[in-house]
Amino acid sequence: MDEHLLDDLALNNGLREVDSRLKLLLGLGAILICVFSPSPVTPLIIAASMALIIVGMARIPPQEYATLLLIPVAFALTSCIVILFLSGGGEPVYTISVLGFTLTATTASANLSILLLARTFGAMSAMFFIALSTPMIQIFSVMKDLRLPQEFIDLSMLIYRFIFIFIGEAIAIHNAQVMRNGYAGFRKSIDAIAMLCGSLFIRAWGRGEEMLIAMDARCYDGKFETDTEELPVSLRSLAAIGSYLAVCSILSLLFSGVVLFP
Amino acid sequence: MKTDNPALEFDGVEYAYPNGPVSLKTVRFSLPSGSKIALVGPNGAGKTTLLLMCNGILRPDRGEVRVHGRPLSYDRAALREIRKRVGFVFQNSENQIFAPTVYQDVAFGPVNLDLPPGEVREAVHRALFSVGLSGFEKRPPHHLSGGEKKRVAIAGVLAMDPDILVFDEPTSSLDPATAAEIMDLLDELNSQGKTVIISTHDVQLAYSWADQVVLISEGTILHQGTPASVFTDPDLMNRARLTIPPVLELFMTLRERNISIGDAPPAGIPEMAHQLEQAIGCVSRRTAGHIYVVDAESVSGDDIRLCAAERSITHIGAMGTAAKILAGTAQISLDFTYGVIDKCLLKSVMGEDTLIITSGGMIERVHERIRAFSREHGVEIPVSDLTGQTSPVS
Repeated sequence: MDEHLLDDLALNNGLREVDSRLKLLLGLGAILICVFSPSPVTPLIIAASMALIIVGMARIPPQEYATLLLIPVAFALTSCIVILFLSGGGEPVYTISVLGFTLTATTASANLSILLLARTFGAMSAMFFIALSTPMIQIFSVMKDLRLPQEFIDLSMLIYRFIFIFIGEAIAIHNAQVMRNGYAGFRKSIDAIAMLCGSLFIRAWGRGEEMLIAMDARCYDGKFETDTEELPVSLRSLAAIGSYLAVCSILSLLFSGVVLFP
Repeated sequence: MKTDNPALEFDGVEYAYPNGPVSLKTVRFSLPSGSKIALVGPNGAGKTTLLLMCNGILRPDRGEVRVHGRPLSYDRAALREIRKRVGFVFQNSENQIFAPTVYQDVAFGPVNLDLPPGEVREAVHRALFSVGLSGFEKRPPHHLSGGEKKRVAIAGVLAMDPDILVFDEPTSSLDPATAAEIMDLLDELNSQGKTVIISTHDVQLAYSWADQVVLISEGTILHQGTPASVFTDPDLMNRARLTIPPVLELFMTLRERNISIGDAPPAGIPEMAHQLEQAIGCVSRRTAGHIYVVDAESVSGDDIRLCAAERSITHIGAMGTAAKILAGTAQISLDFTYGVIDKCLLKSVMGEDTLIITSGGMIERVHERIRAFSREHGVEIPVSDLTGQTSPVS
């Protein structure tokens, strides 16, 4: 079941039974602190603590977490290299020449790219904390608590359910194509992918019609049950999250002057 | 359970899909309340079309459909009422389960019937219990196996407490053991007084399970009657592109070869084996083993284990959800979880003692089946309550 890895991990994680609002509070709070932090230190502290929480408390295998984290960090790294050489200010630190162009990294550009990298790293860690500890079905009940329009929530629930059906259909079609040499060569791949999209669309349409019948057969009257069985918010967890966020904010103020090249 | 009041009547129903060929041609039949009915026919015979008319999803072009004697009307309020009474389980559970969790999906019907939240919760728990899926509330459907999905789909319909249940191909795409368990579940629902209608082209299933078989081909009803009357007619089978169930075919072949194995077509493997044994003249002088029956709702699991250990019981079977849950929690290892009565009959004839754990209306079912077998074959099979006295039936 590799095709829905993130959701599978979230459904079996060690923090599943914790109130989802608390988890969202922790994740979103940490993201905000990372984004507004003037120094790269606090985001790195957040990234480290999130890694500890995700591996230690949510019991996500470290290997899985590292693989997941590698994707956004690799993107961030490449953009930071670009920023390092293309933005200016301060003293030159390092100069290279590529194909006759001279690229210079300055103290200011180094500070900026380190800060960006740290912020991305920290915020992504917090983001993954939410994704790995809170299954989608718990987020729906938070949406309800936030008084989002019922139609919006109903639609997102149907979409969520159908994502997995379509992944299954797409894999089935893809397998059927591969078995008959569908993706051998560029032209054939283009043809095959077009066919896959076409038949997926038609199947989606058919599924929609069948779902309407299924809903009608059970007296659909515009109502959809949302899972509201919430556990009482534990004051201890709330206090722990509050103090974590407070400490991070204070640290980000304390370290506000700390940069690579002062 | 069977009564003479028809649960469902089709009176001259005709239907053609828009821009399509005629799908049903003057269909007329009536199904007795409380019975088990199999609608049998080849692919494209119109089975699904016909079933979709039972709860007003499709509206006949001509003729009328009556539920408990009342003709269906097709305004919103009437349809709501009819869909509450006639539950429909689709062939593909994937299409029927659309909510992100099992709980939400089963709650869908009750919520739309405007039940208060407390009753919704109770209906969902009751429905999940009766299909044996208590504790699955928070699971997302894509983490369920095929059999579990089917059970969730059935629970979603049961939560609305219908008295007629319609299943379109309930066992298609399930493995044989799961399919047999689903059919046992349908038996259990029937023993609670619900009329159960299934469509299938599995002739063996229809023959061994149904009280009545409606044979349909190319949009017309070929025959309606007892399974034996339908499936012993080679001409009918041919016209409906079906095959004769193996047990019956063996019976008919042996008769053609002038081996006298009785007149009554065998109801199942126990009967067939017995008839064969008599035909080849090696009537056994074994004494039949005991079949003990115990009510899962009145005896604790520990008591059952103790009693079973005291007696020389070799095989234990459980019928119905309550019995299986009891056996699970009391750690009673089960030998039979489906086709329980037949398997215990076979063991009993071989002189072994067996125990059937079951509950509710299923107890009477067990007695009835064993009584019928004993009467037909003159074998005395002692049936007794595990904790009570022996009461031999003959």
